Amino acid sequence: MLHFAQIFSYGLISGALYGLVALGLSLVFGVMNYLIVAHGALIMMAAYITFWAFVYLKIDPFLFIVIVTPAFFVIGWILFKILFQSLMSFSEGEKIKNSLLISFGLLLVFSNMATLFWTADERAISTAYTGKVFDLFGVRLPYIGLGGVALAIIVIIALHLFLTRTYFGKAIRAVSLDHEAATLMGINVNRVCLVAFSLGFALAGIPGILTALHAFNPTVSFELTNKALIVLILAGFGSIKGVLIGGFLLGAIEAVGVYVMGTPYREVFGLILFVLFLMFRPQGLAGKKA
Amino acid sequence: MLEVKNVDVSYGDIQALWDVSLTARDEEIVALIGANGAGKTTVLKTITGVLKPTKGSVTLYGIRSDTIPAHKVVDLGVSMVPEGRRLFRDMTVLENLEIGGYTDRARGAKSENLRWISGVFPILEQRLHQLAGTLSGGEQQMLAIARSLMSDPKTLLVDELSLGLAPLIVKNIYKTLKEINTARKMTVVVVEQNVRLALEIGDRAYILENGRIAGEGKGSDLLNSEQVKKAYLAMK
Repeated sequence: MLHFAQIFSYGLISGALYGLVALGLSLVFGVMNYLIVAHGALIMMAAYITFWAFVYLKIDPFLFIVIVTPAFFVIGWILFKILFQSLMSFSEGEKIKNSLLISFGLLLVFSNMATLFWTADERAISTAYTGKVFDLFGVRLPYIGLGGVALAIIVIIALHLFLTRTYFGKAIRAVSLDHEAATLMGINVNRVCLVAFSLGFALAGIPGILTALHAFNPTVSFELTNKALIVLILAGFGSIKGVLIGGFLLGAIEAVGVYVMGTPYREVFGLILFVLFLMFRPQGLAGKKA
Repeated sequence: MLEVKNVDVSYGDIQALWDVSLTARDEEIVALIGANGAGKTTVLKTITGVLKPTKGSVTLYGIRSDTIPAHKVVDLGVSMVPEGRRLFRDMTVLENLEIGGYTDRARGAKSENLRWISGVFPILEQRLHQLAGTLSGGEQQMLAIARSLMSDPKTLLVDELSLGLAPLIVKNIYKTLKEINTARKMTVVVVEQNVRLALEIGDRAYILENGRIAGEGKGSDLLNSEQVKKAYLAMK
């Protein structure tokens, strides 16, 4: 029983990371129908930046959030202007296809650049608190994992408050529901999309620092994109609320699956869940019709 | 005063409006009638700047609106209630109203406008925290109008208000529009498929046929004209 609780808690810890990984992707998709599959690569880049900042400048990864998040906001802003702005006038389906193509290209470019610059070596930050655990009735909870869970909950609540309590956040939601009606209300749809897109990039920075705290290499970008897409289906496309729960669900199922069948099958359970959801509940957990 | 002058509008290669001119004087109710596909909605979208004319001009209170981005046209004092209501269905009634009053000017007057609108549509006040998509059809139409009123417009454009609503509800909403027009000295432009209704409420009306203005006149005059009787009211 204790063993099961241990496995399950690891599942929730990875689930929090999965939720964070999917958050930016979900926001951008929900607002503007752009499917940015490069999201995993952005997280990987953020992980490397966090890693080098720790190695050379001795900046604590959790503190580094205040630098990496705004930096990725700016990167998103620039890439939107160069690559993605021209898709704004396309129809819904064309937006998905074209953004998918462009961002798949970005995914390859970023992953290969990372291999070229930093080699395919496995890296991980080891801080003073790496490997330290908190003992809860015999269940060992690593501090880093707990930090990740706390971070995921804080970020998702903060995003939720931003989207429901501020005028700009409400404008983002209005745009996600109806571009033309939003324009008629005096909302600058292009600007809202630019900010939402950049925000999606900024949200790649946060799982980036968590990735840096675990072992990672350039191929993690594909793995993370894969997880993000699964969570997106579980949560329901474009649903922010569903993302955290979807992440936890994926983490838990993976952990239990590994417990029952063994580590080699780890990736399989997520994909089975993905297919099952597409077959039986395509609108996702949040229940919004796709 | 709203002035559309010799406007041509195209959707890509397909031209929808030819040389359309119309005016709506202050405090007037103007109806725009015509068959399906005649270009009524296109006229409204051109006024709000969502569509840009290839020829001609749109002037709102002395300022050209066809040369500025669509989201800035609201600032000139015109607001549109779109066809099919186009509410933000997954947002609450209150949030829909807040988005309606999104412009800087409207934000300052938010509580004042909310109070006014609660008076006009008391039912909405009871539903403030309900999702817009869960309202009944009539309530949704009221919310769509209320949302546009939140920007405190001088001219209100209403597209196909009666679509999918029971006649009694339609009548009541039009009555409310008429009251707003009188009380707030607001210009109202209505596009309506129900020609009789449109001509009854409109001080003046324009007839749109195949993208061209085919006639104009006082609502009551048109109601009795042979042209309208034959083409739109199925009377001989």
